[in-house]
Amino acid sequence: MEAGLKPLGREKFWLWAMLAPTLFGLFFSAFGSLLATLALSFTRWDLLTPPQWAGFANYIALFKDPKNLTSLLNTVRFTAMYVPGVVIVSLLVAVLMNRGLKGISFFRTAYYLPAVTSAVATALVWQMIYGKDTGILNYLLESLGLQPVCWLCTDMALYSVVIVNIWGAIGEGMIIFLAGLTTIPREYYEAAEMDGAKGLQKFFRITLPLITPSIFFQTLISTINAFQAYDYIYMLTRRGQGDSSVPVVVFSIYRNAWHFSNYGGASAQAIELTLIVAALMGLYLWLEKRFVVYE
Amino acid sequence: MGKRVQTRLLDALTYLILLIGAVGMVTPFLWMVSTSFKLPADQFTKTLIPPTFTLRNFQALFAYGDISFPLLFLNSAVISLLTTIGQLLTCSMAAFCFAVVRFKGRDFLFTLLLLTLLIPFHVTLIPNFVIFSWLGLVGTSVPLWLPAFWGGAFGTFLLRQYFLTIPRDLVDAARVDGATLPQIYWKVYLPLAKPALAALAIFSFQGAWNDLLRPLVYMPAAPNTTLTVGLALFQTQMTRGGNFTVLMAGALISILPLLIVFFFAQRFFIEGIALSGVKR
Amino acid sequence: MKRTLFSLILVLTIVLTACAQAGGTPAPSGGAAEIRFMAWGDPAELEVWKQIVADFEKENPNVKVNVEVSDWDSYWTKLKTLLAANTPPDIFAIDAPLYKDYQSRGVLLNLKPYLDANPGLLDGLYPVTLKAYETPEGYFGLPRDFQTIVVFYNKDMFNAAGIPYPQQGWTYDDLREIARKLTKDTNGDGKVDQYGFYADLWDMELIWGEGIWAHGGDVISADYTKTLIGTPEARKAWQLFHDMIFVDGSWPDANTAAQYGGDPFLAGVAAMTTIGHWAIPGYAEASFKWDVAPMPAGPAGQATSVNSAGFVVAKATKYPQESFNFIKFVLSEKGQTRLAELGFACPVLKSVAESPAFLEQEVKVNHQVFLDSLAFARMKPSFKGYEEWSSVIGDGMSVVWTGEAELDATLDEVVKQADEVLAKNR
Repeated sequence: MEAGLKPLGREKFWLWAMLAPTLFGLFFSAFGSLLATLALSFTRWDLLTPPQWAGFANYIALFKDPKNLTSLLNTVRFTAMYVPGVVIVSLLVAVLMNRGLKGISFFRTAYYLPAVTSAVATALVWQMIYGKDTGILNYLLESLGLQPVCWLCTDMALYSVVIVNIWGAIGEGMIIFLAGLTTIPREYYEAAEMDGAKGLQKFFRITLPLITPSIFFQTLISTINAFQAYDYIYMLTRRGQGDSSVPVVVFSIYRNAWHFSNYGGASAQAIELTLIVAALMGLYLWLEKRFVVYE
Repeated sequence: MGKRVQTRLLDALTYLILLIGAVGMVTPFLWMVSTSFKLPADQFTKTLIPPTFTLRNFQALFAYGDISFPLLFLNSAVISLLTTIGQLLTCSMAAFCFAVVRFKGRDFLFTLLLLTLLIPFHVTLIPNFVIFSWLGLVGTSVPLWLPAFWGGAFGTFLLRQYFLTIPRDLVDAARVDGATLPQIYWKVYLPLAKPALAALAIFSFQGAWNDLLRPLVYMPAAPNTTLTVGLALFQTQMTRGGNFTVLMAGALISILPLLIVFFFAQRFFIEGIALSGVKR
Repeated sequence: MKRTLFSLILVLTIVLTACAQAGGTPAPSGGAAEIRFMAWGDPAELEVWKQIVADFEKENPNVKVNVEVSDWDSYWTKLKTLLAANTPPDIFAIDAPLYKDYQSRGVLLNLKPYLDANPGLLDGLYPVTLKAYETPEGYFGLPRDFQTIVVFYNKDMFNAAGIPYPQQGWTYDDLREIARKLTKDTNGDGKVDQYGFYADLWDMELIWGEGIWAHGGDVISADYTKTLIGTPEARKAWQLFHDMIFVDGSWPDANTAAQYGGDPFLAGVAAMTTIGHWAIPGYAEASFKWDVAPMPAGPAGQATSVNSAGFVVAKATKYPQESFNFIKFVLSEKGQTRLAELGFACPVLKSVAESPAFLEQEVKVNHQVFLDSLAFARMKPSFKGYEEWSSVIGDGMSVVWTGEAELDATLDEVVKQADEVLAKNR
């Protein structure tokens, strides 16, 4: 993007002044901790005794560990379902809400509720909903004459957990899209109507292209969230001594860092995760150049 | 005529879909509300209406003199407000520069900024803690809100996306009138970005309000800490007696301020829609 | 080149850490020592600690104690962050099995000189509770209260079925038989909705440690180098649990239990469970009548697990003497009485445990059972790497309890992995 306002003379000062807080945060805080993480990933550190140089030992251990592959696969599968789910459902909700109907503020609040409620409390509720013998969901299935499903058993757990995570993220996506939708000038729709465009055509011809900046944002943020999601996953699939039947990478980082005295290994996993998401982000940024329409 | 019938049908369909969705969105929440008014002995009953309606879970929350809820609320509110102000200010300035101004290294810096979103929180806790500890700020609320004043990738990214959709003609017009960069930022972009600013305000406030781990390590114990830390204490009770009712009551209390903030911020969405949306 | 850069950053991190220590704890002002004391717990415990501190400060006007109580999960994260940044609290609570881990990494203060200066201080404490804290160099921590595991039973269910309550002298065969009798489909929909027994199989403390001991096995060798849960004796216990779940159906499997918040006993769907004194305040809210009985006996006799919450002093403290004095105060009759009134745990001080403060507390059940159980109680092991070892077993076996894996092969694999953890932490 070569376009943009050229700062004139003294405005250069203003430009850097306005960027200063962010640049400070970027170089001082964010990169400080990234570098510290990188450095620690080459050490053995139990948090209690001084770190010891370990070379690539943590990375080698990571490649050798079959559990690491499992958790990576889980993370990827989770992301592959979660991201489209959140983006599509929340876009749909936002579009319906943006039709300017009466009483929509009630719906807005209703759809935002899951996003504000604490995960600990809602995970408990979901556990009751998903219950094998006593859950509401199976009660509904059975009253429809269908076979009950063991929602949180190993084969189904990933899907059940994806549903809860999407449920919890719709509110946030809806807000992003509602804000995005307000930028579309009304005249565009009026003009399209003159040309005889119907509801769905209007959506695909006007709304969708013009909301690509928000879709891009929401896709990228959802991907990052997906790679870092673990609270609902952990609480719903907890088993053993704090293990999970759907272990994801961040969960494994958490356990290595705080429970298994392996902060160096956790740092290596964090770097691994960062590299993977960074690669994905590179892909997104490339797609942005091709498909995202800015004014 | 036919068109009006069609619109009516579409409206009805919209309401229907939203209503079905809303049931799914709200039921777990209603369950939470219902459990918070149940006796512990009834916590697994399948009825939404508590068999015996009780306020004791809320009383239990307030039964401990050392956990002063008004003070915890105040602490949380101050930290969340400062965080929101810091984010709105610094993210909007940076986003303006990234979206509107042309300068060398812009895309590179922006990509770097996005990269910071990728570092998992659990591994940055200790490096950050060490820095604040070195600065002598541990034990105060400063480490909780100060970072909000040095920007943030999420907020900058969010606002940049929005700023990019604002018509460039407006800038050119302002330029012709002799407006400087800060003036364009303040007078053109900020007023037009109200829906996005509202979204960021909601997210920042909510993020700070729900944060558990950082207040836990940075601030001393109750009552000089935040609401989440105070409420988390009741979780220990839950893990060894399986009593969820008090926890649900606590969760309910803690989200009320967020709902108020949300109601307040909603106005900007409506305003935004009224300005340029599809209102018929 | 790259390596130097990383070393540089590493050194920087360590320097920062060192500086953090210098700037962290507030310097003493006006001669008064300020001690930071951290524990896990709930609001009721926070309140009791504040009272104990008030009593202590009255007797020690030169010392100020700041109490910080966090929930269990957060507590360990907070503690490790503070230790990593070299700004640990002066005194902190510890779970006995984790004690050796911290002790072996050199962050704890040896209390020997202070104990030597206070001869007889430990005489009134139950000796078995002290065992976990012993090291060749002395004590680096002391217990503050203990937990023995007993059987909790739902009186209403026993009464309805006309079955006599469990008594001292009953056996694992009796347990299985009673559990089978109490397993029912009460509403006739073809599904079991009352189970005879439930116990959490994740941690050794609640049932599997006890079961293995009672069948003549052990969980780990005395030198903590070999995992013994795969011996023929131990397998008898595992097989019993397995058969109660999957043959008798008198014990809900892990997925079934999860839908009752993980505690079918409290939910009123399991007639018996095994758990410690900590459950009593929560269970007091149950909708049914219940009481406690001692653990059943196996072929090798009766066995239960004893574990304790204890205190340790950070090696980095500026106030070792004052910190020790506070511990001493908590172990005094006054401090122990306060803790006993809380009702979560059993006092380690014999005279208080056998007094009305403990035996006649608010929730009226047979508290004596918890004390009598000490006669056949064995210590929950404590060694470096305990948490990972225990997780490898609990996690590894979990697929058996959900019915996804076969018992014997899983056990073989788990023993192998557990031994690897032990080797790593040698």
